[in-house]
Amino acid sequence: MFPKGLPVFITLAFLFLVGLIIWLWPEDRVNFSTEVKPILNKHCISCHGGVKKNGGFSVLFEEEALAPTESGIPAIIPGSPNQSNLIKRLHETDPELRMPYQKPPLSEQEIEILRKWIKQGAKWGDHWAYEKVAKPEVPNRPQWKEGIKASTLDAFVLEKLEENGLQSSAPESKGRLLRRLSLDITGLPPSEGLAKEWKTGQVDLDQVVDTLLSDKAFGEKWASWWLDLARYADTKGYERDVSRTMWPYRDWVIDALNADMPFDQFTIEQLAGDLLPQPSDTQLKATAFHRNTMNNDEGGTQDEEFRVAAVLDRVNTTFEVWQSTTMACVQCHSHPYDPIRHEEYFQAAAFFNNSRDEDTHDEEPKLRMYEATDLAEIETIKNWVKDFGKKEDVRFYGDFLRFQEPKYHAHLCEDFDKAELIDTKWLGLWPGGSTYLRNVYTGSSDLLLLNYWADVDGTKMSIREDGPDGRVLSQFVINKTNGRVTRAIPFLPVDGKVDLFISAENPRAKAQQNTSAIVWFAFVPSLPGKDKPGHAGMQEKFISLLNQKPLSLPIMGENPSFMQRETRVFERGNWLLLGEKVEPKTPAALNPWQEKWPRNRLGLAYWLTDKENPLTARTVVNRVWQQLFGRGLVNTLEDMGTQSDTPSHQELLDYLAWQLMYEYDWSLKKLIREIVLSNTYRQSSQITPAILAADPENRWYARGPRIRLSAEQIRDQALASTGLLSRKMYGPPVMPEQPEGVWQTVYNGESWTTSEGEDRYRRAVYTLLKRTSPYPSFISFDAGSREVCLSKRIVTNTPLQALVTLNDPVYIDAAREIAKKMHTLSEKPQEAIASMYGSMMLEEIPPAKLQALTKLYEQALENYRQKPEMAIELISQSEQKNKNTLAAYVVVANALLNLDEFLTKP
Amino acid sequence: MLGLERLLKELQHRQLEEQTRRHFLLECVSKMGGLALAPLLFSCESNPKIPATQQVALSQRTLNPLSPQPPPHLPKAKSIIYLHMAGSPSQLELFDFKPELVKYDGKACPESLLEGRKFAFIRGVPNLLGPQSSFRQHGESGAWVSDYLPHFSKVVDEVAFLKAVHTDQFNHGPAQLFMHTGSPRLGRPSLGSWVTYGLGTENQNLPGFVVLTSGGKTPDAGKSVWGSGFLPSVYQGVQCRSKGDPVLYLQDPKGISRDLKQNIISAINDVNKLEYEQYGDPETLARINQYEMAYRMQIEVPEVMNINDEPAYIHELYGTKPGEEAFANNCLLARKLVEKGVRFVQLFDWGWDSHGTDHSTAIDLGFRNKCNEIDRPIAALLMDLKQRGMLEDTLVVWGGEFGRTPMQENREGKTMGYKGRDHHVEAFTMWMAGGGIKNGSSFGETDELGFGAVSGKVSVHDIHATILQLMGFNHEQFTYDFQGRPFRLTDVEGHIIQEILA
Repeated sequence: MFPKGLPVFITLAFLFLVGLIIWLWPEDRVNFSTEVKPILNKHCISCHGGVKKNGGFSVLFEEEALAPTESGIPAIIPGSPNQSNLIKRLHETDPELRMPYQKPPLSEQEIEILRKWIKQGAKWGDHWAYEKVAKPEVPNRPQWKEGIKASTLDAFVLEKLEENGLQSSAPESKGRLLRRLSLDITGLPPSEGLAKEWKTGQVDLDQVVDTLLSDKAFGEKWASWWLDLARYADTKGYERDVSRTMWPYRDWVIDALNADMPFDQFTIEQLAGDLLPQPSDTQLKATAFHRNTMNNDEGGTQDEEFRVAAVLDRVNTTFEVWQSTTMACVQCHSHPYDPIRHEEYFQAAAFFNNSRDEDTHDEEPKLRMYEATDLAEIETIKNWVKDFGKKEDVRFYGDFLRFQEPKYHAHLCEDFDKAELIDTKWLGLWPGGSTYLRNVYTGSSDLLLLNYWADVDGTKMSIREDGPDGRVLSQFVINKTNGRVTRAIPFLPVDGKVDLFISAENPRAKAQQNTSAIVWFAFVPSLPGKDKPGHAGMQEKFISLLNQKPLSLPIMGENPSFMQRETRVFERGNWLLLGEKVEPKTPAALNPWQEKWPRNRLGLAYWLTDKENPLTARTVVNRVWQQLFGRGLVNTLEDMGTQSDTPSHQELLDYLAWQLMYEYDWSLKKLIREIVLSNTYRQSSQITPAILAADPENRWYARGPRIRLSAEQIRDQALASTGLLSRKMYGPPVMPEQPEGVWQTVYNGESWTTSEGEDRYRRAVYTLLKRTSPYPSFISFDAGSREVCLSKRIVTNTPLQALVTLNDPVYIDAAREIAKKMHTLSEKPQEAIASMYGSMMLEEIPPAKLQALTKLYEQALENYRQKPEMAIELISQSEQKNKNTLAAYVVVANALLNLDEFLTKP
Repeated sequence: MLGLERLLKELQHRQLEEQTRRHFLLECVSKMGGLALAPLLFSCESNPKIPATQQVALSQRTLNPLSPQPPPHLPKAKSIIYLHMAGSPSQLELFDFKPELVKYDGKACPESLLEGRKFAFIRGVPNLLGPQSSFRQHGESGAWVSDYLPHFSKVVDEVAFLKAVHTDQFNHGPAQLFMHTGSPRLGRPSLGSWVTYGLGTENQNLPGFVVLTSGGKTPDAGKSVWGSGFLPSVYQGVQCRSKGDPVLYLQDPKGISRDLKQNIISAINDVNKLEYEQYGDPETLARINQYEMAYRMQIEVPEVMNINDEPAYIHELYGTKPGEEAFANNCLLARKLVEKGVRFVQLFDWGWDSHGTDHSTAIDLGFRNKCNEIDRPIAALLMDLKQRGMLEDTLVVWGGEFGRTPMQENREGKTMGYKGRDHHVEAFTMWMAGGGIKNGSSFGETDELGFGAVSGKVSVHDIHATILQLMGFNHEQFTYDFQGRPFRLTDVEGHIIQEILA
């Protein structure tokens, strides 16, 4: 019997062992982030997650996905795919039951991934971009091509090229490479000197790149990129869209980029420069980043509504700019795709909800940029306070002179009786009129500073405690003023917070006439050392400085403790439906908060620039890469969340993010340098049919980037090629020529006055940007109107663009200058054209192109010989000599400026 | 220009030959400026029976992002003329007849109506203001129209009224943005750019989305009301002007004749073709195409914008004012543009903000003059479209950004020298006519004072949903990805107003 059973036993044992091995054999682990989550996002989450949780099932958060659904049991049972309704429902034949509902079924392959994942325990994983940046292993690819060493960057690219069966292209020709580098780094064509040195081999590639990076034009070029993100404009937006002074911020950006300010510091100063200890004026200027939000002056609008709109815009912009994260979704509900919850939006908003700005007409707080003599006076006042007052008073008085905070705006007044809020902005009391300003903290001040103007004399003003019968705190007379004044008025010191009852009497004014227009109230004690000789003069100096009207820039400032606002969740995103109170906090799915950071904007900036933050460095690398290659390593520049495009080169992105933080100490110039020195960047941009078929988007970089230039580059290049371009930097925005009648904004007396002299030909970054009516030729070439943060300009190709470069007077001016140059280049038109082409494109003109352009020259010359009066019109000068030749050259130059290769980065 | 056609054919041929359909589509997508049309294409992709001709049409779009596209379902209208009275006319003097309000004229407004509501300028308790015009019923439909609009009264049977439209924005800028972009904040694409993005346009020598303004000013919210927001800029409205160049930079520079311009464009394109042969970038082909279109546009736009060649009876019908920037001229232009295949014509007429602060904004004075300016032209537009058989597939929309209060304005609590009405969001009148609209109908009713809706209340999103429906789109599926999420014109709202559909 026994021997008989032996084979059975062996068989059983064998089977058992096989089973054991199969059971223990590591089945390929399914990667949640790269395999499972994309399937859930693509097919499931629109009905089961975030807004909708059909059947009580959501795949957004782990605990939701594993929780019982409406059916009472969970849809996912870890380890048991066959028991899991998720899998069952994918296989259903009844169309009412089969998921995804009324949509094509999942592929067998997709179902298999989900099945395997559930079998392996349905473990949730982090999205790749939410994991801390680690230094990836560099692929072993020492050679780019025969005899050419691959850089680290190249090695990552080579690996993917191989995987996709592609080969890199030959290096770009010398001239075209220089043009590419120069346009990318400075936004301008290279100088003649540099082009010559490069051509003759006097400088090598490293030197060229360093020369370009140290050119001041670098900051001007890259500022356009940053200003799109910062939504910088020179007007306030909305109905009246009047001008605002923001350009000192633009100049700050140019300087910071030129100085290669480390990106972490660049971040901290813009988000929270005001909260740094003893911030400099420059650091305060940086905070204008978040004052680029729009400001509504339309009569009848509630300032609070638009203050809130600005705060939310700051949240959305901060998260888009630094985290490639779409926070706007979370304003109304938990994020439909990313692990960010509804209340986390308002926790993030709480960081921004305590800034002083309140959508007032004057856009306070503003940094007052005094002239040198006034600055000296401020120092004497500060010294006085240092001598006779307390130490902290020095900063208080100094800051009040710098940005006049804290103060109470007229729009806080309520319960108007025979009084109004003029144009919903300023307090207007009629004769016998009154209003309340409640919950005011005067800091026991003995002075009220009142900012107002008045058109009538003899208004008796009273300010009482609590109400009409309260104690009189101040009584004074308002007379006619010459414009706006800030006046110091004696005030009875009161402790703690107080309600003020403000009233006016004036028997001479008409019944419904405003006796004055009050803009704001502030409580600033008179300077210390009252008993000291010279006090009165010092106090007068203080008030007189407050009445100066220096250039002022809107900045961020934080509320003092007595002005703190609570932040509450908005139910369904509605600012009038307030829910639970929240505290400043960052989303839990991202890097942890360190307790040493203050719970304010400064702490938020530290959190964003912490090396633990997974998104900041990746985001900036991705965007710099896109500026150079026209496409991000993650193509969705605005979003690196779970709905984003799968990165083409995730390791490369991580490598560069690592370099940026750990090797380059956040230097953007070093990052750019590494990229443009790579073989990948320096490839020829020729597109063979094979490359086009295999990789139409140039996702794998088998060729160099070939992209239409930006609106700014197109204008700047045209002007630079002719020598017309002014290299003057900084200052108020300029108005180059624009067609008449383009500006027609209502209730806005401003008009477009063409700038004079070299200001007509400044770099595009200095052109005035009016949000409701941006410079038309820039808009045609896809520049934005900067109302909200813009991560990526979509490049279009339209007939209106052709009309701009063909007919816009700027381009005709440029063509005239080119014509003059051509005229001096050679007696022979063919040589002149070839030579001009060579200096514009930095390569020799192919004979067929020269033939086409020479033919145009001859046609034009013939045309002007027959109609010489038209030649005079075109060259726009009365000079008769050579007019026909000159005009024919203008025509050729017009064509040159319109060539596809001229409008495109080679 | 045979050479170009050959190149185009060659490109198409190669694409069709070398690639599977999926790759082909994706490639088209990639070249249309980022992933511009991805959502539309994916909806095509779910239909495996996509005809080959449509595939060619898609590749045409590579070369020209405005090439005509079929909508996802059968449309009722193929073009839109949208007449916006910027500032917002009073429904109570035009269409919403409230006999009871006559009785209450001068009486204090019931406080129950004011509770919890905000107005732009009214403070405290204002008085009610009776209708300043007299009403009669007109046409077979018996629609009530006031004596301010004698000509329009004759065409009421072409129109479907919406008498209980509401909005949630009571200031001009945000309310106009809301009406045209579905959001009160700046940054979203306008209705016209959505439609042009979805459908392209029939006539490649004219812009697909044209804006005409009158009244001396552009709307309060500025050019953003016809902006393309996050859609590619090619879909934004192009303002055609009656003074200066009809389109910016349309005119050749002084000293360059038409013939010479043609030589210039030929030379540019010859060089660009050589460039294409050498570098193989499809964008170069697209640019060649755009330069030819620009040249044709320079001829066709001035032609269509010139109304002088229209017969005298047409001028009389519309009451045009040649040489001026007039609403009547713009109505005639709108007809001409749509006739020539323009997809969306947006008119803005400024000056309807009848607060009663002066003569021009008094509801019984200046407002009446404004009505005179639009009455004949609007009636003419509807009649003219009809007589040409164009009303069947042209949708005409009329309205402001909100309505006016049944109360007389008391600005900041003051008594005012003229009769005026403040901004009103609760209920106001709009109307539509033409393609797919149930003519001679009316939907929605307000209470006896004309303050709020009692039935048929519709929102701005509902109007957008309805317009998109008529143009062949399901508003819930017509999306565009931006900042990491799909956006819709109607956000998460919008119901089609079936009651006014034919």
